[in-house]
Amino acid sequence: MTTREGRRGIRSRGQRDRGTKGQNGEARAAGGWPVTRVFNPCEARIAFAATLVLLFFSVLSLTARGQASKPADQVDQATQDVLKELGPAATQPAAAPAGATAQTPPEQTDEETTVSWRQLIVLFGWMLATAGAVGVAGAILGLFVLLRREALVALAIPQVVAIGAAIGMRLGWPTLPPALGVALVALIYFALSKRWGAGNWVVPSFYVAGLCLSFLIIANHGQDVEDLQRLFTGVDVAVKPDVAAVAVPVLLIVGVVCALLWRRWLLLAQAPAAAELAGLRPARWDTLFLLLLTIVILLGTSSLGVVMVLSMLFLPAATVLPWVRRIPAAMIGGAVLSLVFLAIGFYLSNTMRWPMSQSVGGAGFVILAVSQLAAQLRG
Amino acid sequence: MSDSLIEVTDAVFGYGGRAVVRIERLVVSRGQCLGIFGPNGSGKTTLVRGITGLLSPMAGQVIHQPAETGSSLRIGYLPQHRNIELHWPMTALDAASLAISARKLFGWIGSRTQDVLKMMRRLELEHLASRPFAALSGGQQQRVLLSGALAGSPTILVLDEPTEGLDVRSTQELLDLLREFIREGMAMMIISHEADDLVQVSREIAWLHPAPQQGEPSTVEIVSPEALGEAILQAARRVG
Repeated sequence: MTTREGRRGIRSRGQRDRGTKGQNGEARAAGGWPVTRVFNPCEARIAFAATLVLLFFSVLSLTARGQASKPADQVDQATQDVLKELGPAATQPAAAPAGATAQTPPEQTDEETTVSWRQLIVLFGWMLATAGAVGVAGAILGLFVLLRREALVALAIPQVVAIGAAIGMRLGWPTLPPALGVALVALIYFALSKRWGAGNWVVPSFYVAGLCLSFLIIANHGQDVEDLQRLFTGVDVAVKPDVAAVAVPVLLIVGVVCALLWRRWLLLAQAPAAAELAGLRPARWDTLFLLLLTIVILLGTSSLGVVMVLSMLFLPAATVLPWVRRIPAAMIGGAVLSLVFLAIGFYLSNTMRWPMSQSVGGAGFVILAVSQLAAQLRG
Repeated sequence: MSDSLIEVTDAVFGYGGRAVVRIERLVVSRGQCLGIFGPNGSGKTTLVRGITGLLSPMAGQVIHQPAETGSSLRIGYLPQHRNIELHWPMTALDAASLAISARKLFGWIGSRTQDVLKMMRRLELEHLASRPFAALSGGQQQRVLLSGALAGSPTILVLDEPTEGLDVRSTQELLDLLREFIREGMAMMIISHEADDLVQVSREIAWLHPAPQQGEPSTVEIVSPEALGEAILQAARRVG
């Protein structure tokens, strides 16, 4: 044991005697932090590194294939491509795209109806897979968005993403990289503003800025304006296989990562001081959560539009929350509900000739309203 | 091995170059409770953050002793039950597991759930384990959180206003429990503005006195519980 320590900083005699690495793998940060930092640097780094790698590869894959999330016009083209590939199946009346261009077939037998639904599912298989992945990941992330009371951030991110997409459209680039860049800059600013205790004006201002600037950037460029409007409304939803091949696994991985960390999110919300004393850095974990959220919103928006993503983020979680006692049950229930919403939305879209995203959101909202009402009646 | 776990000497703690609290000497020892008493805004939280190492001293030194040979000092924290966000769906067991999850990789507690249940059993709370935390009374919530904090086997337990919002009976039950664990050798630091509670469990009390001039740091006086009780009594007489 020593008797004299440096003038500044906390010193642990035992820690110093052992060097900078503790027995349990705890490291001492520069500046002489205490010896209670168990696991923190390691796990935070692993989580961040894994998330960044996911993000990097998803962007790389999408941009390399030239798909790069130009959702509106790409969607139309994608639909055309799929229809061409399917050939005769595409000529079936019921095989028209969900939404605006869907046509109701004339009278059919039961067998024909069965066949046409099967064809529809095949035709829109990639879209359904992507929407399902957005649903599962969105329901899990959305649960924590609601519980952490960060709904406004989740609403603002798609608007911010639209600024990047607009820049890409204006410059004739793929839209995903600039969207990602703008989203990351906004993300860093959100995290810092929270840390600094900045006013409540930050997130709403970004929301409004996204809505305005994205359209100003492409003002007087007719086709781009139309594309951006489609991005927001998400009326046309068709996803090409190579886009889905990247988006689906990344979205599912993000959902699983978020689910596995549920006790972390709970701890940081309930006892941040306990987390700090255990060596965790709440600000870093908050940033990680925002990063996961941004990935889901970015991939979901670029594939299916804003409406689908927001529907999946908020509605399943809000529907299931009054009925569960524990977070794992809420996550599973939300994920299952998101798939139910998707199935109902797909059915309505094709039978009522309604747009797909709005059908999912509308069905989800009705179920949410019934759920909340039933919960109120139950007391 | 010495009984002292943390030694603070001539330390100044603050934020952004602004000194908030100054302390000459303070020792936290095993089997003892240190009360932190002072008015709002006097720097109680800053002092505790400094003592526990969450805040580097602007001057002076803070020395953390290892609890046992080759092991690190484990500082547990009991949050105020009033600060728990009850809209999160969680059972009493989930809430009690918070402290242990903080020290586990990615928060995965695995078999440590048994430790939490064992502590809940000792505090006669096991029957509440599967109940929604939000459905418990304030006293039960605080005891559940305490069981979780104790299940982590901390060397030092920091309690933030543990009796805030509790009725007289719940307060007394909680203080009895704390005394029990102090007798078993656990060190505690209790932040409170309830002098009566501190007098019951603390051996020494760090009394924060705000500086008369704005911008100057608060000073800390280490007093006995009796001295604090007497001072409070005299102040009450003056007011009365």
